[in-house]
Amino acid sequence: MSKLRIHSLVRSPTLAALALAGLCALWPAPSQARTIHLIETGSTLLYPLFNLWVPTYTATHPGIRITTEATGSGTGIAQATANLVQLGASDAYLSPALQHLHPGLLNIPLAISSQMINYNLPGLNNRPLHLSGPVLAAIYAGQIRYWNAPAIRALNPDLPLPHHLILPIHRSDGSGDTFIFTQYLSFSTPAWMKSTGYGTTVSWPSVRGEIGATGNPGMVQALATNPYAIAYIGVSYRSAILKEHLGQAWLKNRAGQFVFLTHANVEAAVASRAPHTPPNQSISLVFAPGANAYPIINYEYVIVKNHQASRHVARAVREFLDWAIAPSGGNAPTFLNRVGFAPLPKLAVLQSQRQIAEIH
Amino acid sequence: MSQATRDLPPRPSSGWIRYRRIKSAIGWFLAGTALVALSVAMVQILLYVFLKGFHSLSPKILVENTVGVGGGLKNAILGTALLSGSAMILSALVGVAAGLYLSEFGEGRLGTLTRFLSDVLVGVPSIVLGFVGYVTLTVWLRWRFSLAAGAITLAVLMLPYIVRSTELALRRVASGIRESAYALGCRDHQVVFKVLLKAAAPGIGTGILLALAISAGETAPLLYTAGWSNYSWSGHLIHEPVAYLTYVIWSFIGEPFHSAHALAYVAAFLITFMILLINLLARFLIASSPHSNR
Amino acid sequence: MWFRRLLAFFALLVPLVLLAIAAFLVFYAWPAIHYNGLDFLWRDTWNIGNQYANPVQRHGETVMPGAQFGILFLVAGTLGSALIALLFAFPLGLGAALFLSEAVPHRFGHFVSFFVELLAGIPSVVFGLWGIVFLIPFLSHHVFPILARIFHFIPFLARPIGSGYGLLTSSLVLCLMIVPFITATLRDALRSQSTEMREAGISLGATRFEVATRILLPGQKTALAGATMLAFGRALGETMAVLMVSGNALNYLPHNVYSPISTMAAFIVAQLDSALADPTGMAVRSLAEIAVLLLVISLITNGIARFLIGMLKEHTL
Repeated sequence: MSKLRIHSLVRSPTLAALALAGLCALWPAPSQARTIHLIETGSTLLYPLFNLWVPTYTATHPGIRITTEATGSGTGIAQATANLVQLGASDAYLSPALQHLHPGLLNIPLAISSQMINYNLPGLNNRPLHLSGPVLAAIYAGQIRYWNAPAIRALNPDLPLPHHLILPIHRSDGSGDTFIFTQYLSFSTPAWMKSTGYGTTVSWPSVRGEIGATGNPGMVQALATNPYAIAYIGVSYRSAILKEHLGQAWLKNRAGQFVFLTHANVEAAVASRAPHTPPNQSISLVFAPGANAYPIINYEYVIVKNHQASRHVARAVREFLDWAIAPSGGNAPTFLNRVGFAPLPKLAVLQSQRQIAEIH
Repeated sequence: MSQATRDLPPRPSSGWIRYRRIKSAIGWFLAGTALVALSVAMVQILLYVFLKGFHSLSPKILVENTVGVGGGLKNAILGTALLSGSAMILSALVGVAAGLYLSEFGEGRLGTLTRFLSDVLVGVPSIVLGFVGYVTLTVWLRWRFSLAAGAITLAVLMLPYIVRSTELALRRVASGIRESAYALGCRDHQVVFKVLLKAAAPGIGTGILLALAISAGETAPLLYTAGWSNYSWSGHLIHEPVAYLTYVIWSFIGEPFHSAHALAYVAAFLITFMILLINLLARFLIASSPHSNR
Repeated sequence: MWFRRLLAFFALLVPLVLLAIAAFLVFYAWPAIHYNGLDFLWRDTWNIGNQYANPVQRHGETVMPGAQFGILFLVAGTLGSALIALLFAFPLGLGAALFLSEAVPHRFGHFVSFFVELLAGIPSVVFGLWGIVFLIPFLSHHVFPILARIFHFIPFLARPIGSGYGLLTSSLVLCLMIVPFITATLRDALRSQSTEMREAGISLGATRFEVATRILLPGQKTALAGATMLAFGRALGETMAVLMVSGNALNYLPHNVYSPISTMAAFIVAQLDSALADPTGMAVRSLAEIAVLLLVISLITNGIARFLIGMLKEHTL
């Protein structure tokens, strides 16, 4: 393709001169040579947080430009791996195969996110609905098909559940939300682990009435327009759920307790699971033990190559990430509360700092 | 024609004629309804895009860069102009030359092959070009998301349109003009540059403008070649992503934020407006040309 | 002579670019073509495998365990949406062209047809935006419930009506995008016919409608077929608008017209992200296999269209 350009430039002088003149006119003077342009791409769940961070950070760091892009965790991982971007955002940690393939790749937690199970049961959206991993697995596998099935009634003896087909909604694009939801199903239900397993895209069993949706906004919209549907939705979209008057389920955790998504319950899960985080920080926080532990939480990662294009870029990446995980910086409640995230626990901050220091 | 005569009975009765009149009236009514339905849809889309966009439009949006899902669209407006402009230059260089060959010397096998394959290239879905551009230019050549990768992908997309419209425009030039030029002793390149290109310029220009309009509205070939940037282009051909308007429409309408939707509406307004303007300009160009009626 | 050679070189670039793209895609997709075999088209699962396990060897290729690539649901979605779009677009385009060419004054017809042709210039994403913000709420709240109630006895039109993202919505958007092709081509073809034909028809006592449909139209059958084929090809390969309104179904066939679907072109954009996470690269290569198929489809549809139009005369669109 480059050959094409060269030949055309060499062989037709008049047009080439015109083209060059045009290019020169468009070409701005090389501006501030020291400016470093970092590109972030990946997780749609982290995207709003990056968008809160970047204006604040770049306002006080004039030499740095940061572009943010919402593409998806898979793109984040792949493009950081291929050195196409400096910061890849991902809801899921790197798979062992990827780590084996690219030893220089770091996954560094930046914050903690959680997931809701939402439903649209006309007249019952304000009443607490209790659900467990095995029941959800059976719903998404098509084994429980009606809202008044015995297994659901057993968890909710007081609710007048209707005899209506359950419409399970799942993400049809690759998604970290699917990753942690299917982990909850897999860890709580051996049969699901065996048949379907977990991943950013899984091969969903075919269920009558199932709906595929794109992105968290698509999930909210599909749930709102389809009575008797159920969906898994990232916590950043809680305000949208409240606005549509949809229900949010209590979930059975590993200790057998039904818990609601609250700050305290997320903290409880973090407290029980985060201390087990290995130095490379690849760990699932889903289905943590503990009486009050909320079962579906996860680290939100940034995927970075330990060897960057230049010393200056490496330093810029280190400084930005150090700021992002600092309780006085990016992990301050002013940022995290707006997207419903929880801050990193102390140990994770230390581990993240240690990983960040490896970037050179 | 003979069919029509056959269908008409030899001695039409007045009932038969009335029946046919009614049938014709119903036919025209249905055809008219089809046209009205189309026009209503067209007007609805345009009005919707224009009203929504105009409602959110502000001078601020035109002069500021994008910040997350807020700010302005200066980076994207400049980026779209840059990507389509560079693609147009690349594509016009090759396309006009190839069109010249097809029209003047393209009776042989190479001509037939080129004609057919360029028609096929028109039909290749733009995402296929984007995919190939991503794997080859962005990743394999390590250009990353960049102006060069995006513009070259777009140029390939535009190429067949320019080739064919150039050929068509040149074929409309009366052959007498060619013959007299050759008779006066002109060489090939003199005939082409001094006579043919001048005579066919409006037609060629129209083709290039229409290709430009198509490229400005494309998204799929750019998603994985041009990338996205929150800043205006700073002069690097490779290694620096470029923003463009269609990305804003696709990506920001899915975000649950009001500011993001506003930017998407304005971007849709701007790009539709630009494309309609280019289309009008192209029509004007061809209508004003002295050779428009052959 | 050097000048002709130079022009020939540029002309050669066009086929070379296309051949290079085709050769590259086939080469790149080869491991996937080998791994997926012929089942690629008939299988109904797209599963990139367990990303958190270790890669395994199967059929001589390295893949993640459980990886299986089949695109029957994409074939169904692509063909279904394009065919339904054509079902709407054909009569609409035909009717509009007849009306514009034969029923209204030439000036007015020229003006309106220019207007309709502008529809073809509106970018795909703008159609998608309009689809998401206007068409889908409108259809899912006002049209689909009524449609499903009236036709409740026809399985493919009965409930559930879903979220509005789906087959019928995609087809409607596609229809608007391809109608201008049919209208513009047919109107030009009709207008190019001599006035004598029309006058002869009228003098025989035929109504104007009969002249249009029985005298003028039969002569344009091939042009109409060619334009329809081109429009069909365009509908098969359309990406962004479909991506935005189709609901992006994964691994299931539509059970009614309101079901979410996905098409081959849209699927490449929607799944490239997840596919890139596959460390063995087989998922991306399988997407390349879809791109190869799209290339073959466009070769076939354009080939047929050009053949039909070429049969008519040496006339270019």
